[in-house]
Amino acid sequence: MKQISSTLASDCADCKNKMSVELYSAARQTIMDKLQILTDAAKYDVACTSSGVDRKGNGRDMGNCISAGICHSFSADGRCISLLKILMSNECVYDCKYCINRKSNDVPRATFTPDEICELTINFYKRNYIEGLFLSSGIVNNPTYTMELIYETLYKLRNVYRFRGYVHVKGIPGADPMLIWQTGYLADRMSVNLELPTAEGLERLAPNKHRKSILKPMRQIQNGIIQGKQELALYKSASSFVPAGQSTQMIIGATPESDYQIMSVAESLYDKFAMKRVFYSAYVGINEDKALPAVTAKAPLLREHRLYQADWLLRYYSFRVSELLNEKHQNFNILLDPKCDWALRHLEQFPVEINRAEYTMLLRVPGIGVKSAQRICKARRSSPLGFDSLKKIGVVLKRALYFITCNGKMMYNTKIDEDYITRNLLAEHEKLPFDKDGITYRQLSLFDDGSENEKLFGLDRERNTAYV
Amino acid sequence: MYEYVLLCEDSMEGILSGVYEAYRFKKENNIESHDSIHLSVTNPDICRLFTEYRTIETNYENADKVIGTIRKRLGEEVYYRLCLAMVSCFEEKADAVYHTIVLGLRENDKMIMDRLGEDWVQRTFRFARASSNELGHMVEYTRFSELENGVLYAKINVKHHILQFLMPHFADRLPSENFMIYDENTDVYGIHPKQKEWYLVQGMEIDQSMLNATAAEEDYQELFKRFCKTIAIESRTNKKLQNSFLPLRFRPNMTEFQP
Repeated sequence: MKQISSTLASDCADCKNKMSVELYSAARQTIMDKLQILTDAAKYDVACTSSGVDRKGNGRDMGNCISAGICHSFSADGRCISLLKILMSNECVYDCKYCINRKSNDVPRATFTPDEICELTINFYKRNYIEGLFLSSGIVNNPTYTMELIYETLYKLRNVYRFRGYVHVKGIPGADPMLIWQTGYLADRMSVNLELPTAEGLERLAPNKHRKSILKPMRQIQNGIIQGKQELALYKSASSFVPAGQSTQMIIGATPESDYQIMSVAESLYDKFAMKRVFYSAYVGINEDKALPAVTAKAPLLREHRLYQADWLLRYYSFRVSELLNEKHQNFNILLDPKCDWALRHLEQFPVEINRAEYTMLLRVPGIGVKSAQRICKARRSSPLGFDSLKKIGVVLKRALYFITCNGKMMYNTKIDEDYITRNLLAEHEKLPFDKDGITYRQLSLFDDGSENEKLFGLDRERNTAYV
Repeated sequence: MYEYVLLCEDSMEGILSGVYEAYRFKKENNIESHDSIHLSVTNPDICRLFTEYRTIETNYENADKVIGTIRKRLGEEVYYRLCLAMVSCFEEKADAVYHTIVLGLRENDKMIMDRLGEDWVQRTFRFARASSNELGHMVEYTRFSELENGVLYAKINVKHHILQFLMPHFADRLPSENFMIYDENTDVYGIHPKQKEWYLVQGMEIDQSMLNATAAEEDYQELFKRFCKTIAIESRTNKKLQNSFLPLRFRPNMTEFQP
């Protein structure tokens, strides 16, 4: 560890003089092209969040971090642009069937130098284009060599360019654990992609990857985070290890797993690996391969949406997967969001009295989100709430009204009857975050609360600037 | 019931001077309740009957006294929310803030902003939320370009006057940069000299030739535009979703949406 760092440090001492990358000469074209190739190659990665860590500026160096995360722009597909999301290189020795960068594909290849990445990051950052860097890579030569390149880039970015903004890097499965360890001290978030929900799927579509070698660095990062926290408690100055936590992602719809299997995997990742986030990526057909769905098949966006909704229920609404799905009921209802679906199957627990119900029960009412539930709990301390105030607080009454009472009264004279409520709920239109033609399932009309959608789509606008 | 309307300047100090005068006015004239006194930052189009209008001069000393009381008795968090409400663009803001302060001081409640059942608090909450949302957007969407003299320059155009809340964010983030944010709407410059405290200047004359960008600037703008274009997945194109997250009104000043 020390050895690598010391050679790097001496390298860096030299390059401080020639720090600026040539943008104007013949190299200029190259950087433009490289950025295009390596952005194009990185775009299928989902996680683009800059959340999870608060780091104030130090009054000298560039950069700070805000734990809610900041989205700087939105691309034409409606996904947020928060970090400079690029690959170090799209050269790859692997041949994963679903991946655009696989060895057997004939695509233009490029590799950034660490200095080019640092220069781009710093210059984008100071213009307020981005929150920081998201660095992933194809496998150049072998996993350890690739991880070394990533480490070198981060080392320079932090120690030569003195960048204090957000950095998210991929842990490369199979790389020397020592490198993953060192990189963890320079990054804010690390993620190792699970790729596919089950080991069988992985074996079929990614012959060079193995479930075990993916879980190993995940476990290592988890242990590092725990240890880092203890060190931080012991010596205040210890630099913390992956302070924004670990995330992962899996591809949905390339293999035949059910929603129940997928959510169970997600739940155990949260429970056993202390993941901060699990991301779901609707499979987009890129490569023709008999092991994959046809390239012309539409991405399963509705399914992805339902998974994100359920994921939110696990993380913020204290639901368990077993409450939402089971062996008999393996997939989410395409007509109703998972929370409504749950409520309709548990009508015996409703109606809930707004002025008395516990916070955890308020959270389970369709139409009441985390913010509304918190506001209700605070506001009812001073005076009992009526339907009027609920509306102003942000409760979506057209959905909640079947499940709540205020001071013992329901809003209208409604029946607590599954068919009746379902019919009424379906008569409203769910605002889905994509257009009709974006769905492989039968088209439907449902409703959902807009602000929740924002989060549920996995865009992570976890901003808590409003008065929560 | 006879009512009084105190007209104050549309600024934080103006409104707070109004609050100070309202208290004094109530005491001096033995008015029974604050409910019959109102603050306004705009001159009325039509004067109502049985209503007395008075213009209040902004007095920094009085405003400071009110700030002191709010901070001490209601806490920093409430003070911050009130400030956000006071810089919002709503006409009723002065009245809402005034009556929220009255309620807070009467109940001696540091959690006054949680009482959303109360009408005035409700309104103040809404106004503060509007400013705070726009502030959040500007933290995201402000775009700097590098000028020949090394200064980073950004132009914004905001509904609520949130520049003074925006400056600390960038001052913390870019402590060693000279940067300048110009709010077109109010003609105010926020200026941050390298390693020094930031400040605001109104109506400053600026030589347009000072605003020439560096040669590298164009390259970086082009790089970012290309990045934004490439990062989108074509088969998931969804302009509607993009529009709902990034309203069109912000785009004129954003690099990636320039032709």
